[in-house]
Amino acid sequence: MIELNKITKKFTLHNQGKTNILVFNNLNLKINPGEIVALTGPSGVGKSSILKMIYGNYVFQSGQIKINNHNIDHTYPRNIIELRKNIIGYVSQFLRVIPRVPTIEIVMEPLLEINSDQDEVREKAEKILLKLNIDKNLWNLSPLTFSGGEQQRVNVARGLIRNYPCLLLDEPTASLDSVNKDIVLNLINEKKDSGSSIIGIFHDEYSRKYLNAREIDITKISDAK
Amino acid sequence: MQPILSVHNLNKYYGNQVGCKNMNLTLYPGEVVGVVGESGSGKTTFINSISGNLIPDSGKILIETGNETIDFLEISESLKRLLIRTELAFVHQNPRDGLRLDVSAGGNISERLMSIGQRNYGNIRQTIFKWLDKVEIDKSRVDDFPRTFSGGMLQRLQIAKNLVTSPKIIFMDEPTGGLDVSVQAKILDLLRKLVRELNLSVVIVSHDLAVIRLLADKIIVMENGEAVESGLCDQVLDDPQHSYTQLLVSSVLQV
Repeated sequence: MIELNKITKKFTLHNQGKTNILVFNNLNLKINPGEIVALTGPSGVGKSSILKMIYGNYVFQSGQIKINNHNIDHTYPRNIIELRKNIIGYVSQFLRVIPRVPTIEIVMEPLLEINSDQDEVREKAEKILLKLNIDKNLWNLSPLTFSGGEQQRVNVARGLIRNYPCLLLDEPTASLDSVNKDIVLNLINEKKDSGSSIIGIFHDEYSRKYLNAREIDITKISDAK
Repeated sequence: MQPILSVHNLNKYYGNQVGCKNMNLTLYPGEVVGVVGESGSGKTTFINSISGNLIPDSGKILIETGNETIDFLEISESLKRLLIRTELAFVHQNPRDGLRLDVSAGGNISERLMSIGQRNYGNIRQTIFKWLDKVEIDKSRVDDFPRTFSGGMLQRLQIAKNLVTSPKIIFMDEPTGGLDVSVQAKILDLLRKLVRELNLSVVIVSHDLAVIRLLADKIIVMENGEAVESGLCDQVLDDPQHSYTQLLVSSVLQV
């Protein structure tokens, strides 16, 4: 369960004339287990900001964010680190990895944090890579030289190899062809059926309908202009 | 969980000049803390002051060994030396500062082992080979002198030399500084693997925000000897609150 209560979020740009940008004033949101919420609205309206606040990347000025009843509290970074390790998964739009690390190892990494059996983890990573149509010949190469769609699927594999109770998805299907899009959407549906609370940004209506997502139009609750 | 290292109100002055002041740090087992800031901001003074290389003017450093809490600035010099050889390790920016260049690669790795009393040649040799393998240096180079090694190999040898006694806390001062980017990537990958495999706790100094983002869980941003912002690494880099951090983050060139 993900809960946002009375969130205020603003940016203060100290080096640009101390400009204040108010994004949210009194934002409330709740995502139940087994539910998918899709955030909609034009870019710049604050969709990614919501995901980043939930994941702890962005601070907020007032209000409360609770993940399975744990507070996101920036005065205790350790707690957020633990939440990320155990409860919140995040599939970002772009792949950020150490150069020269093989794809298979990147996908294995989140699982190795909780399971030290290398062979078992490798098997699971191979399984999800196969499912996502990543050619076997690519597994031992760094994904940095892959095509956009392949990179995105590696990113999805890394994010979905675990079963997180809460899942944040930032355009996980943006650069995929229709076949691979359906594969990723099916994987997301599996996570939903297993009881994850899922919140995401999906740029196309097709994905939102496929996932049977509850749509929330951010323009109606955002203060960003 | 108890922090393995905690630093409270640490101050170090050079005469009237501030080295670092009011510094605090909490490091949990398995955690990596990055210290960033521009040249002269006090990063190196800070890491040297908490690792036994420099004596700070005031403050408290507590190290948790599992059995007891050690007040690092109050213990005897001999106990401190023992800790530095066993529980702590320091990886220098320039591997030549952390290695003996007139001693073979194997000899460098075995030094810490022998200083804690290991004498069995066979066992030591085995441990050396295990560590050469871990840092991807060919076994056949074991008896070569470090001066025949490339920069990247030297840095990997320094890491092996430091980690061989399974220290709990590793201090690193710009471990990838001065290496070309492809070698840097390899060292970053190695460090990440070792941190996870051995549950290492690391304090790492770097002026390279990209390196810190890839390695660190938490971050301390220093300016003029003081911490201006600290917290969760990607939060501080993605949503910096202090004007200096904002300046630092916005100054990074995009590739």
